[in-house]
Amino acid sequence: MDKIMQKLSDNILDKLSMDFLRNQVLKNAYGNDDTFIAKLDPRVLLVWYVFFALVPWFVDQVPFLLGAFLLVAATTVMARVAGLVLLLFVVGVFSQTGYLFLVSLLFGGNAETILPLLILTLKVATVSLASVTVFSGLDPDRLSNGLMWFGCPERLSFSISYAYRMLPMLMEEFQNVLLSYRLRGNAPGSSTFAGKIRYLIYQVKVIIHAFYPLMLNTAKRSRTTVEALEIKGYRNAATSPEVKKLKLSSLKVGYDDMLFVAVSFLWMALTVFAMTIL
Amino acid sequence: METMKRQAASQSQKLMIFVLTMALYGMATLFTELIPKFQIGIVEFSVEYFLFIPLVLGMLFDPLSAALGAATGELVFSEIMLGQFGGLGELEKFITVTIGVYLAGRMVKNPQNRKMVGIAAITGPAVQLFLGMLVDIFKVQFAVEDFEAVPGLPESVFATEGFAFLNDLLFSGILFCLLPTLYLVPKLYGKIEPLLGMQPRTEKTALGTINAKVILACLGAFVVAVCAELLATSGLSLIDWEASWAESGTAVAAGIVVAAVVAVAVLAVMKKRAEAVK
Repeated sequence: MDKIMQKLSDNILDKLSMDFLRNQVLKNAYGNDDTFIAKLDPRVLLVWYVFFALVPWFVDQVPFLLGAFLLVAATTVMARVAGLVLLLFVVGVFSQTGYLFLVSLLFGGNAETILPLLILTLKVATVSLASVTVFSGLDPDRLSNGLMWFGCPERLSFSISYAYRMLPMLMEEFQNVLLSYRLRGNAPGSSTFAGKIRYLIYQVKVIIHAFYPLMLNTAKRSRTTVEALEIKGYRNAATSPEVKKLKLSSLKVGYDDMLFVAVSFLWMALTVFAMTIL
Repeated sequence: METMKRQAASQSQKLMIFVLTMALYGMATLFTELIPKFQIGIVEFSVEYFLFIPLVLGMLFDPLSAALGAATGELVFSEIMLGQFGGLGELEKFITVTIGVYLAGRMVKNPQNRKMVGIAAITGPAVQLFLGMLVDIFKVQFAVEDFEAVPGLPESVFATEGFAFLNDLLFSGILFCLLPTLYLVPKLYGKIEPLLGMQPRTEKTALGTINAKVILACLGAFVVAVCAELLATSGLSLIDWEASWAESGTAVAAGIVVAAVVAVAVLAVMKKRAEAVK
């Protein structure tokens, strides 16, 4: 039994290492570009997303919300989203509404409080699963192209592409700085309770100190980035319609996209139909 | 050196500041999103605040670029990359973070004045958290039908939100905003500016004090955030018109109008922000 517990805690600690986080994020971004969702046209997917991000807020009927929830759950499975993201989703939904329910019990709430909160939970869950499908199912480059087509500011698409490329490097650098601080420092013992608190404070302090070299390094790097962008005429390209046209010429709406929209539409129509009958 | 008379930096320097803040704060928020939050009772010790990064940079560099960079970084890195993008709810966060960091950055005229840095470092997060709390309360109030009628719900919402505000401000605000900022600003002052080819901020080159115009602009932005939030969650029920299609053409129109207004509001804010950066 002890062994199993030991193994389990090792396993969990393993999961929380920097490398694991980095891998999950990268996997989420680039790992699944062969799924059905990833091959869809980003513009179609964004329109689809806007529907499922807005409509649930206006609707209070449970069958409709349940139908929408099932549909986005299916698309999330199809997009093969990384496990960590799904875990975050579950935790996020619970912390938004489950927590509220527990507290409302303290103030004399009862089972009646559940129904409105269930509706709220379904709404939140549907909206966030739709966003999980679109934003982690899509390739970042395709996503930013799609956003650009809808006239989002160039800076946002630039930020998305830049973030996905720079993040692994930044994380590695942060880790290196942290490790070098740890090598040079002397961590307090953490066997007693007071020691544990001291250890925690020490860790937080190291993280904050680590941002000092990190800020200087990133400042240097962002200067290089911007200078390189200027050489390539970025600021002109960002506003020039011709460049935009060239960039967006790769987007095409195919049969798959139509099919996807049609099936989604059919499903929602069916739920509405079922609701009117019941 | 003509551009450095006021601290309003040149265009490419603004872009550098934007990229720097976005990358650093984005990565930090990504970590906080992944680190589990630990709770003791209902006291949540969320380590959610790396807000000191944009605060420091906003005090040393152009505040508006730093504020927008921070908000964009959070949006792109921790919301879009992890698929946590919550639609309109993110607009509210975007605006409140921008306002908080911008105000804090404007308050500091001379980064060597420790007292002012300290006051600004606690005001920034306080403003941001307070606005966030207001929006959260409105959100639940409008998402749940018959908010007042559900037993125990109103009190619990006010209690949890007010408690979360105080808790965040006292815990995260002091530990993760005030102390790191006080440590980092004097240390980075005069060192990080040359890396971006700028002169350090002094009394003479500062942008000037906060005047009525700044406050009005912030209030306006906040009203936009609240309106978007309320429109998104107002109790208009689309399904009612589905069931009684024939009679209530007005409800259809109302639904469509609300959706259009929301879309226009989002686009308008995005455009405004993009223009402000340029």
